[in-house]
Amino acid sequence: MIGSLKYSIALALAAALLAAAGAARADQLVTDLSEHQIAIRSNFTGTQILLFGAVEARTPGTRALNRDVVVVVQGPNAPAMVRRKDRVAGIWVNHDSVTYPAAPGYYAIASTRPLEVTMTPETRQALRIGIENVDLGTPEARAIDGTPQVLQPEQENAFWKALIRNRQRERLYANVPGGVTFLGQTLFRATVDIPANVPVGLYTAKVYLFQDGEVIDTISSPLYIDKRGIERFIYRMAHSDPFLYGLLAVLGAAFAGWLASAIMGRP
Amino acid sequence: MQIYLPIAEMPVNVLTILAMGATIGFLSGMFGIGGGFLMTPLLIFLGIPPAVAVGTQSTQVVASSVTGALAHFTRKSIDFKMGGILLIGGVAGSVSGIFLFKLLTRLGQIDLVISLVYVLFLSVIGAMMMVESVRAIHAARGGAVPTRRGGHHSWIHGLPFKMRFRRSKLYISVIPPILVGFFVGTLSAIMGVGGGFIIIPAMIYLLRMPTNVVIGTSFFQIVFVTALTGVLHAVENFAVDIVLGFLLVIGGVVGAQYGVRAAEKLPAEQLRALLAAILLLIGLRLGFDLVTTPDDVYSIVEVAPHR
Repeated sequence: MIGSLKYSIALALAAALLAAAGAARADQLVTDLSEHQIAIRSNFTGTQILLFGAVEARTPGTRALNRDVVVVVQGPNAPAMVRRKDRVAGIWVNHDSVTYPAAPGYYAIASTRPLEVTMTPETRQALRIGIENVDLGTPEARAIDGTPQVLQPEQENAFWKALIRNRQRERLYANVPGGVTFLGQTLFRATVDIPANVPVGLYTAKVYLFQDGEVIDTISSPLYIDKRGIERFIYRMAHSDPFLYGLLAVLGAAFAGWLASAIMGRP
Repeated sequence: MQIYLPIAEMPVNVLTILAMGATIGFLSGMFGIGGGFLMTPLLIFLGIPPAVAVGTQSTQVVASSVTGALAHFTRKSIDFKMGGILLIGGVAGSVSGIFLFKLLTRLGQIDLVISLVYVLFLSVIGAMMMVESVRAIHAARGGAVPTRRGGHHSWIHGLPFKMRFRRSKLYISVIPPILVGFFVGTLSAIMGVGGGFIIIPAMIYLLRMPTNVVIGTSFFQIVFVTALTGVLHAVENFAVDIVLGFLLVIGGVVGAQYGVRAAEKLPAEQLRALLAAILLLIGLRLGFDLVTTPDDVYSIVEVAPHR
């Protein structure tokens, strides 16, 4: 008796939860990456990751009209120093600097439509979508001699813009409207370019589903980019055992020089 | 064919690097120069980070100077005692150069200093070589032999700590060779060069060593100074890319063989004028980059190079 009451309460609760979930997010995302690991080997010249997914409609019958998918791939944060060159005695010299303690080493957005169309600037800010909405940490401004200084907001803004501009030029920050394409009603795919100069580390690929400018579901998956094989071995050794590494490099070169003279010496 | 460099962290074309190594090796074999002061700017033009260009280049100089030193060893044209004294200065210079390099990297000025030093040396040496080779070409045409002024005793003979160098037939103070070694060692750490273009004139005109032992002795000390510089760059700056170094050495070794042979057949003075022109051009290009307004006055500097 009591057992069956408990059972029916649980059932009702579950039904209520499901109904609530159904109301809160009509549709749900299912996504996967073509690969969760990118290996930087000796033939690495950049690559492309493919993300594919589907929108599972929870409320059949409703037509998805203003539905958008935004994919954000973000790399590991690291300090980045931006320097401004100034003319000193006719020569361009690195002068003032601003260091951002947590700048993502990579940040790419692919979306079905331009972000301005998909959502309001407020939504973008709230969700931190777009590199200009990412918190880079408290910037630290220094003069040429390394002493801390306080910059005017517009000066600091110029440094911040320069960081984004420079990274965009290196293709490390990218925004690709149209990078996500729907194949029919529910299936979609996104391609994101990974240039050869990407930093190694843990990346996340976060997918947002928008309906009429409101986010209704998100899903994120990890992505590792790391050196592999001989590249990894050399890099590791150069950093963990630099003396031995340097010695090997120099002795190898000396051996090559000896070999050359041994071959040369025999006429 | 592209290959990803593990330390420079960028892909490069293998054939480009091999061709560069071979070209510089050819010139180095032809003129008996290390070629470092040509290779480092070229690597920087290619987009290799200047620190990696300098650090890696020192391994290439080790290879070419070992070849040179061995050739002179068999000809017994090395003054080991003088080489040793130069080496004392060279070791100290290399160590201090590495610390200067680190300091400048921290200040974010290393790229500028490398460029400035190169502009200075390339233009001065290029101009001097140009003048000399043009004069020699004229002399060959006109038949007049350029006269060299005989040396009078200089201030060097007044210095203390004199030592006898039998092989060089010299009895001079050890201070000038130590200073020369120190200066060249510092340059080697900052520029990724052997420094033969400084040490050889210094030995001839300053120390007044007989020309037959000058080149061998300079090779001897360059081997050890650049070897130390290479190891220090690896330890202090993680700036030696073994893959890049390997490619440069392969290209360089092959190129040098042909350079040595070509030198026996081709008109040396005209070629020297050509080399001088190349040096001046590279110097001009580097200097031009320093004075023209950059496309973007803002740039991103690596803060902690992957510790």
